[in-house]
Amino acid sequence: MHQANLSPPIPDSLPTTPSPLTSPGLRGAPPSADERAQANDVIPVSDATETLVHVDNLRIHFPSRRSPTRIVEGISYSVARGETLGIVGESGSGKTLSSLAILRLLPRPAQIAGGRIVFEGEDLAGKSDEDMRRLRGKRIAMVFQNPGFSLHPLMTIGAQLSEILAVHENLARKDAHARIEELLQLVGISDPGTRIRQYPHELSGGMKQRVCIARALLCNPSLVLADEPTTSLDVTIQAQILELFEELKARFRMSMIFVTHDMGVVARIADRIAVMYAGQICETADAETIFSNPQHPYTRALLGSTPRVDQRSTRASGFRLPTIGGSGPTILHQGDGCRFAARCPEAAPECTRLAPLPLTVRPGHSVQCLKRGSIGGANHA
Amino acid sequence: MSDSRSVNAAVPFAETAVIARHKPKGIWRQGCERFLHSRTGMLGLALVALIVAVAILGPFIAPFDPQDQSAMLDPGAKAPPSWIHPLGTDRMAYDVASRVIYGAPTALIVGLGAMSIAAFLGIVVGGIAGYRGGLADEIIMRATDFFLVIPVFVVILAVVRLLSGMVVNTPLESIPYLNLGTIIVLIGIFGWAPIARMTRAEFLRLKNQEFIEAARCIGATTGDILFRHILPNALPSLIVMVALGIGGAILSEAMIGFLGFGDPKAVSWGQLLFFNYESLKVAPWASLAPGAAIFVTVLGFNLLADGLSDAFNPRSGK
Amino acid sequence: MRLTIYIVRRLLFALLLMSGVSLIIFFLVNAVGDPIELMMAETPGVSAQTIERMKAYYGLDQDALTRYLIWLGKLLHLDFGTSIVYNQPVGSLIATWGWQTFKIQVPAILIALVIAIFVGTTAARRQHSRTDFSVMSGALLGQSLPAFFLGILLILIFSYTFDILPSYGAYSTRGYLWGSVIADGLWHMVLPVAMLTFFNTATLTLLMRSNMVDVLKLDFISAARASGIPERRVVYRHALRVAFIPVLTYLGLLVGLMLGTAPVTESVFTWPGLGYLYVTAIHQLDYPIIMGASMVIATMLIVATTLTDIAYVLIDPRIRLE
Repeated sequence: MHQANLSPPIPDSLPTTPSPLTSPGLRGAPPSADERAQANDVIPVSDATETLVHVDNLRIHFPSRRSPTRIVEGISYSVARGETLGIVGESGSGKTLSSLAILRLLPRPAQIAGGRIVFEGEDLAGKSDEDMRRLRGKRIAMVFQNPGFSLHPLMTIGAQLSEILAVHENLARKDAHARIEELLQLVGISDPGTRIRQYPHELSGGMKQRVCIARALLCNPSLVLADEPTTSLDVTIQAQILELFEELKARFRMSMIFVTHDMGVVARIADRIAVMYAGQICETADAETIFSNPQHPYTRALLGSTPRVDQRSTRASGFRLPTIGGSGPTILHQGDGCRFAARCPEAAPECTRLAPLPLTVRPGHSVQCLKRGSIGGANHA
Repeated sequence: MSDSRSVNAAVPFAETAVIARHKPKGIWRQGCERFLHSRTGMLGLALVALIVAVAILGPFIAPFDPQDQSAMLDPGAKAPPSWIHPLGTDRMAYDVASRVIYGAPTALIVGLGAMSIAAFLGIVVGGIAGYRGGLADEIIMRATDFFLVIPVFVVILAVVRLLSGMVVNTPLESIPYLNLGTIIVLIGIFGWAPIARMTRAEFLRLKNQEFIEAARCIGATTGDILFRHILPNALPSLIVMVALGIGGAILSEAMIGFLGFGDPKAVSWGQLLFFNYESLKVAPWASLAPGAAIFVTVLGFNLLADGLSDAFNPRSGK
Repeated sequence: MRLTIYIVRRLLFALLLMSGVSLIIFFLVNAVGDPIELMMAETPGVSAQTIERMKAYYGLDQDALTRYLIWLGKLLHLDFGTSIVYNQPVGSLIATWGWQTFKIQVPAILIALVIAIFVGTTAARRQHSRTDFSVMSGALLGQSLPAFFLGILLILIFSYTFDILPSYGAYSTRGYLWGSVIADGLWHMVLPVAMLTFFNTATLTLLMRSNMVDVLKLDFISAARASGIPERRVVYRHALRVAFIPVLTYLGLLVGLMLGTAPVTESVFTWPGLGYLYVTAIHQLDYPIIMGASMVIATMLIVATTLTDIAYVLIDPRIRLE
């Protein structure tokens, strides 16, 4: 890795250069207060608090003649405008797939087996492939995990980004370049004019991820899906990228679904958190509550096993870090009931027979656990 | 992902024991199993086995002696297939089926002989280049580049012809199958380059892996490292190349024979084509049979190589 | 700058290779014994005097090194000497016959490339489907079918059974097809080109499909789809660009293979190309042709591989910073 090319530190406030797109009358007279306020809208700021996307009982499976492999078993969540939902889970929990399902970009052979996804009031199931394509990148955008691999290696940054603009908005070359430079500046890339002509391998990891974020923001999407965007970066760069996300979130009240396995990351960036295990959502609540009052045994175990600096090992724990017993979820165990039952310290016999349905313990806080009062149901609802 | 020696008392001890009992299978076992499930591989193996069987059982299953021209009178040369001559007779009244059957051992000897030479040379040279590196590597790489670029077939033709011209009227002429032997040696000598390349690549890849470092730490000798650690791990890819090479060698010999440079005393499919090509119109079976034999043999080795390649380098969902 | 250095290095190496090849060819041919003696050994009844005269004519009365240098010098002036059998300058023979080889090999590669790109990509997009399976099986079969056997089959079917295509030579001996040289030439080209294209298509399709399958799984393809780029574009502009690069390098090898086996493929159709010239020359021990033709074939091979190496570096910007 090019350690020498650390991306430039993000300024305290992002530059507010007037955009030629949003403030046409800027030549000549100095900008008035109104115009400057207008010019702030490189990306329009949203104020409504209605539900942006609502996922209802989504099921994903690998189809098969005998019995399909169920990967995601009926998860439900919503994201309001301007809100960031963090989805936490181990590898194999299906969190990435649930985001891809919103875009209808599930990798073969995975398929959506049931449930509804409602975006901006519309049921996405009713949309044709062409409609979905128009949605992607324009209304819903995605930032992928590995920036090194999610940019085309043989195309310049400028070429890749302007192609997206060309597909969605019929922008002339000059305007397209202007917008791209604007956005690159926005995400903290200095000298965007040069970067546009460079190839991805000439950029550092952090810079590449910034480019990917800029790419996602190109057409002012309503919803940004971030799939572990910091996982493959060095720790110091991780911090910078997270800061960038926070800035963007604060400034433009971006609606985001932020997928990660890192509790520390999600604590920082998410307003609400959904905890997933093996294709099921265990608990959903706002960030505060998840950390201060976790209800689901898995959430508790997860928090308990996160090492803390001020933690002292005691004789009682055998001088060991607490872990979650058993081994990680595999898609081979297609049993009924709660998927966490095999590793759950509070598991009861009925936990392996009945799948717990979501129970609202407090407004905005729902748990799926028989031991917390959920009603049991069949898995193949 | 988790520690089976967990603090959490909820984990039954039995589960840990179960995890310990299932030792993962070695790469050979795994590879063999995968190969058995590969349709192309099994088909290739079947075809090769068929050819080998024909080669071994040749004298017992061939209806006639390959040099038997008694059919000249009845039913005559260039006769179509019949019950007595299942594949008809050829231009010189030989029984086609017998000649084709007797061509099998020739083909196999050519393939295996040539590839043994090529493999030996290639592995030794490639191994040195890959393991030693440095100047030896540079020189060897240039040599491989050279051998990969020259038109091997063209050169072999010239050399075979010239050598046979050379032995005319000399005592060497009486050595049986000298021509065939020369062909085998030449194909082998010119075939070392791709194998050397692959060996070098594999050795380079493996030499820097941690398990080699570990072996060195516990005092393994260079010989140990080379033969017990690196070579077995490089073997799968090499075997695939050798399988492909056998098919290629058989094909090369067939082409040499087809052009008329083969060993007149040996029965080879390429030569059968050479003898009978001029009567293609009137006796197509005499050319089709050896041609089909070549095809089936080469196909068998190619499929085998493909199956082996899948078995040892599984690409998920290839 | 690095790029130019690489190209120059590559060209110099190519020159080195060519000189090496010339050395090998010369000494191979001459090391097995006096060429004239050998030739005459198979033709009885030639007087010693004639042999001496021929030797002098062909400059064989000097030692090997001098002969090599003389030959090399002549080569650089494109003087390949005179054919013993045809009694014509080898250079013009090579040019005439070489053109015929060019006539069938270039279309064979181009057609194969186009088909392979399209079929391979389609198969990759429908991986595991029946289309994919049949494409793969067909290609595997096609790869193992020896070109010359296919040629024989084609002749049997189209010339002998249906009599719609010629089986011999580049032009008709009695009257051109429809009275036109071009039509006649094309008509004769059909089967040889088909034979050569078949194997090329099979190999290239397998390669293209395999690369495409790998590339289509890469993240930047998903990212392109997630940005709303239409699928056709994703496949044919984004994916193809990356998947094609290994195919390009393989082209050099393929050309080499075609040229190398030209003696056989051309003999099947008695096609008057460089390969066929070479084979007859070898049978007749016509040394100037043997040396000249093999030198030309080797040079064409070296040129082909050098070009593909350079093209590879030009196309992939990642390699330039080596």
